[in-house]
Amino acid sequence: MMKFRAEPWRPLPASSFSRWPVWCLVLISGMDFPRSLRPALFMTGPLGLSDIPDLSFMCSWQHALTVPETQPQNSENGALHVTKDLLWEPATPGPLPMLPSLIGEGLIPPGSFHTAPPILPAAPTPDTFLSLLSLCSLRALGCLQLPRASGCTPVPSPALSITTSSDPWDPGLTARDLLFRGGYRYRRRPRIVLDVTEQISRFLWDHGDVAFAPLGKLMLENFKLEGAGSRTKKTTVVSVKKLLQDLGGHQPWGCPWAYLSNRQRRFSILGGPILGTSVASHLAELLHEELVLRWEQLLLDEACTGGALAWVPGRTPQFGQLVYPAGGALDRLHFQEVVLSPGDSPQFLGNPGRIQLQGPVRQVVTCTVQGETLLAVRSDYHCAVWKFGKQWQPTLLQAMQVEKGATGISLSPHLPGELAICSRSGAVCLWSPEDGLQQVYKDPETLVFRDSSSWRWADFTAHPRVLTVGDRTGVKMVDTQGPPGCGLLLFRVGAEASCQKGERVLLTQYLGHSSSECLPPTLHLVCTQFSLYLVDERLPLVPMLKWNHGLPSPLLLARLLPPPRPSCVQPLLLGGQGGQLQLLHLAGEGASVPRLAGPPQSLPSRTDSLPAFPLLEPKIQWRLQERLKAPTIGLAAVVPPLLSAPTRGLVLFQLSAAGDVFYQQLRPQTDSDHHRDSGPRSDTESDCRAPTASWTSQDTAGCSQWLKALLKVPLAPPVWTAPTFTHRQLLGSVELRREEEEGQRSDVLRKAMAQGRLLLQRDLGSLPAAEPPPAPESGPEDKLSERLGEAWAGRGAAWWERQQGRTSGPGRQPRRPKRRTQLSSSFSLSGHVDPSEDTSPPHSPEWPPADALPQPPVTPPSQELTPDACAQGVPAERQQMLRDYMAKLPPQRGTPGCAATPPSSQASSVWTTRSQQHTPVLSGSQRPRKKPRMGF
Amino acid sequence: MSDFSEELKGPVTDDEVETSVLTGAGMHFPWLQTYVETVAIGGKRKKDFAQTTSACLSFIQEALLKHQWQQAAEYMYSYFQTLEDSDSYKRQAAPEIIWKLGSEILFYHPKSNMETFNTFADRMKNIGVMNYLKISLQHALYLLHHGMLKDAKRNLSEAETWRHGENTSSRGILINLIQAYKGLLQYYTWSKKKMELSKLDKDDYAYNAVAQDVFNHSWKTSANISALIKIPGVWDPFVKSYVEMLEFYGDRDGAQEVLTNYAYDEKFPSNPNAHIYLYNFLKRQKAPRSKMISVLKILYQIVPSHKLMLEFHTLLRKSEKEEHRKLGLEVLFGVLDFAGCTKNITAWKYLAKYLKKTLMGNHLAWVQDEWNSRKNWWPNFHFSYFWAKSDWKEDTALACEKAFVAGLLLGKGCRYFRYILKQDHQILGKKIKRMKRSVKKYSIVNPRLSY
Repeated sequence: MMKFRAEPWRPLPASSFSRWPVWCLVLISGMDFPRSLRPALFMTGPLGLSDIPDLSFMCSWQHALTVPETQPQNSENGALHVTKDLLWEPATPGPLPMLPSLIGEGLIPPGSFHTAPPILPAAPTPDTFLSLLSLCSLRALGCLQLPRASGCTPVPSPALSITTSSDPWDPGLTARDLLFRGGYRYRRRPRIVLDVTEQISRFLWDHGDVAFAPLGKLMLENFKLEGAGSRTKKTTVVSVKKLLQDLGGHQPWGCPWAYLSNRQRRFSILGGPILGTSVASHLAELLHEELVLRWEQLLLDEACTGGALAWVPGRTPQFGQLVYPAGGALDRLHFQEVVLSPGDSPQFLGNPGRIQLQGPVRQVVTCTVQGETLLAVRSDYHCAVWKFGKQWQPTLLQAMQVEKGATGISLSPHLPGELAICSRSGAVCLWSPEDGLQQVYKDPETLVFRDSSSWRWADFTAHPRVLTVGDRTGVKMVDTQGPPGCGLLLFRVGAEASCQKGERVLLTQYLGHSSSECLPPTLHLVCTQFSLYLVDERLPLVPMLKWNHGLPSPLLLARLLPPPRPSCVQPLLLGGQGGQLQLLHLAGEGASVPRLAGPPQSLPSRTDSLPAFPLLEPKIQWRLQERLKAPTIGLAAVVPPLLSAPTRGLVLFQLSAAGDVFYQQLRPQTDSDHHRDSGPRSDTESDCRAPTASWTSQDTAGCSQWLKALLKVPLAPPVWTAPTFTHRQLLGSVELRREEEEGQRSDVLRKAMAQGRLLLQRDLGSLPAAEPPPAPESGPEDKLSERLGEAWAGRGAAWWERQQGRTSGPGRQPRRPKRRTQLSSSFSLSGHVDPSEDTSPPHSPEWPPADALPQPPVTPPSQELTPDACAQGVPAERQQMLRDYMAKLPPQRGTPGCAATPPSSQASSVWTTRSQQHTPVLSGSQRPRKKPRMGF
Repeated sequence: MSDFSEELKGPVTDDEVETSVLTGAGMHFPWLQTYVETVAIGGKRKKDFAQTTSACLSFIQEALLKHQWQQAAEYMYSYFQTLEDSDSYKRQAAPEIIWKLGSEILFYHPKSNMETFNTFADRMKNIGVMNYLKISLQHALYLLHHGMLKDAKRNLSEAETWRHGENTSSRGILINLIQAYKGLLQYYTWSKKKMELSKLDKDDYAYNAVAQDVFNHSWKTSANISALIKIPGVWDPFVKSYVEMLEFYGDRDGAQEVLTNYAYDEKFPSNPNAHIYLYNFLKRQKAPRSKMISVLKILYQIVPSHKLMLEFHTLLRKSEKEEHRKLGLEVLFGVLDFAGCTKNITAWKYLAKYLKKTLMGNHLAWVQDEWNSRKNWWPNFHFSYFWAKSDWKEDTALACEKAFVAGLLLGKGCRYFRYILKQDHQILGKKIKRMKRSVKKYSIVNPRLSY
């Protein structure tokens, strides 16, 4: 009944090994294919099919477990590699800004750059979209300058060098600026609407000169306006020519400034319908386009995909260079030497070498192949490659223009001097400075399904002649030597990887650059908004690992780091654009499937280091906060030289969009630490992994030093200028004199505002004794009890008459306008602060854009010209200027408003506080808003 | 998670067309919600309940990422309120989220133990019955990895017979998967028993009983696994164990059919392991060489860098067909194309020998065919001065093999060859001299000498 085979059964791995020839065992294990893959369902089809059971379970612990091949009994000590305590401890609770070394200044003279020798332009292939430019022609274009010509010594002052890190920075537009804030209150689903109306009305109001003057010029050129004009010289007739010339001052209907001169006002009424529609419709179209673009950029700013920070190793492990863009426009490439002294924080050494480029730097890549270190830089429309020479000075090899815009650049890890670049036209080229360009792939359409994005990406694979070509819908492997257009899909946004609806590729990266034995050199990382996938190029379409990263911002940066110890667990660092950092631990040595070796870990972001800075004034605090919140656009990691330690630490550098370089030191939590207290542990020991690290005085000192340099840089001046219509003739001599006085004062105020410091009394000149706040009037309850008392006594009618006489009597009347005057000309926020926000302290960090634009722009034409009325709907930073401006205008009849205010009381009212608002007499509603004036 | 933005992208009514346009034609932005929240754009406000639950969820996630298991567990207590959400969508999604987070906390929590985990899993299975199968499977995996084979098996058996509501295709697949895992567990016990059997003497009194046991297991397992491996997917562990059992009982045809189907079915992904299993099977069966070559030929198409390619080469080298011998050269070149194989001394040794043999055999055209597509990058990739120095330093034998190949392909003037030649090595001196002679004679750079 039983047939027995002669050969006794043996466990499979052993038997399969024993059958292989001996040389098989000698093979490098790096290229081993996993003997047994993780079970996975394979479905083809579009993404978002909910019918498929999600077999890639999203728990990190399940990734740590692999299905045992044979007896699970052995797995307890053998296959189960779950390292529960794989943790990197940050040395400080947050990253710290990089500082120049003050002592090490004389240690090593900072290298000076030699100008690159002119390179012969390589002949471009005729059908390529790119044109190669030689260095000479680049110079002629002004695209590339090497200011530090041979032997130029850096500026010795350390104070100067520190300012290089702090250029003025503008956070740019936020969702608040772009989105429509009104809308239907009780709509069930909120909708996103771009606020074109608001933007255009603001533009027309603020920049009427820009909007309308060209129209006037056009009309002047094309219309014959000279008639027999000299006959009628009545004052009611105005020359159209003059008006057209002065159209720059035209303000649309509803704008308070439209009524400043009779001529303008009449013209506004007459020409409003025509001017309004023609200009506005043209502008609105353009503006809408721009806003859509800005909104898309806000949703996903793909420009800096890959990261613009690179670490170039130096002569000794202690030294190296950070290469990154600096300057407000990120158009200055810095080569900054860094010293990593053991046991100390990394420091900048000397001044950076600088190369000024014409466009902003978006991506900086470096790679050392066969002892040759190359640096590739991508700008929006240019790419360039540098080589580091013997003295670690960069020499430009070649620069190139990409007409449609470059989206990605990568350096070959196999062949020195070979690059892959891709452009928005859908073309991917292999580029080497010696051989020029070779177009490898071109397809304006996306790979898997139609997607509007023109983002493309290219990277290398384990085969030096095969590239990956990626877009939002997938990744393809393309043989550069094969026939054009063919290739094999490596990753597909679809059911194969059980992608979600709306999922798109954000970043792909070849992970074979680091030649460690931990992971096979055939792995590719694919990141989407939701997940990251590890794909092996030998098994396309089926991800080896899927992990839901859950980052709240686009994941555009990833770095595979060297293993901290020879345990074959390699950290993979992920960086979200919002500053979030995550560390995954990948294992997959030999013939096992790549997996997560432990729970992922988050690292502190730059905003976590806010406590290290000194206590600041609210406005500066806000500025600092904004600066720390700037998007991360570059990541680099270095293993510092620590000869004695068994485990290697890590220094992480990050670059923000503001041009700041921060560093964070990490050390792996060693197993010995864990074992020592692995007995009966108390709660505090085992669970309170709460950062044990704290700020040292050195850290905080460094932060204040950096902050000081940051604050030295003045903010960019506001671009707004007052409308250009004339009003001089209307100003009387009295006002002019007063204007001068006020001008001085307002200058001081403006300066104080620009510098962001508090107003001091000396800024306001001699301050007369402030009027004491009004005594609280008898409250209503007093009146009520009084009245009740009187009524009880039968004298109710008499009391009532007496009361009426009092309120309309002369006792209260003069006080009212005076107080209003004070308020209206004050600088307090009372004029436009939403009463509901009264509770928030004035130093709330969201000062300028937050509440500046809350009012709908529709101001009734009959509205009064008090500065506060004008100030409504004008950004907060402009309100002061507007008030100044309005103060210069002639006094309006019927309003004893701002202009009539005696200067003394105006000055005193600077200190108007909120407490005064609560006095019952004063409130915004008491302003005689509805009084007609000037004939309306 | 029912994202705010998900709501935005829900059923598109007329006035919401603009929304989908603005959120970028089909792409989903998880961070859109935070942008929108900074601007009050109307619409229903989140209720307090929803606010606290979502805040709690983010606290748990944060604690998990900081490895603060205790803190995460404490937040988890509060998070259970989400099970009572009035939003039915959220209420349905809640058990899965709780299971994911909770199992992770319990897996890593220093004070958690197996009992806690088991209790949690059993509770979660029955809250929101939709996840019963998934959680059962994951629970079984957990038990399996903690060596609790019996418990795992019991768990899977329970899940297998579980019925609720209507059957969907996705549930069918899940049940198949559960059965297959059960089959895998049975295979483990089977192979353990078989091991015992192999240790026993045939005349042992216990032999018959154990043997009986081994055979009883088989049919159950095969039924369990065979259903799953017909569905397209990657089922390596299942196929492997299934084939092993079939083979053991002498069902070679059945085993071959399973493997052939697994390797060649077009609906399956091109899994290299499928071909490797088939090849290994054929090798065990002492199949004819041509059959093995045809299997490896396909593997060569998929993974030219696989280590079996060297075995493939030896097969091809021995073949009588000229076409195969040409392919043998191609395979060697193909292996050495890959960055991970550059230091594979066996491959270099094979190539050096085979190149010489091919050139001696008057097949210059074969070499030139291979070399033409590589001559513009192999010199830099393999035979640069840098590699000559570092190879000689690290592995002189490798350097010698490479130098010989370099000499044959690039002529005696090549940097690599010259560098190795210059090195004075006592033991290798003779070998290097011989190499020099061969290069002079056979190098393809000077075809005059090799006809």
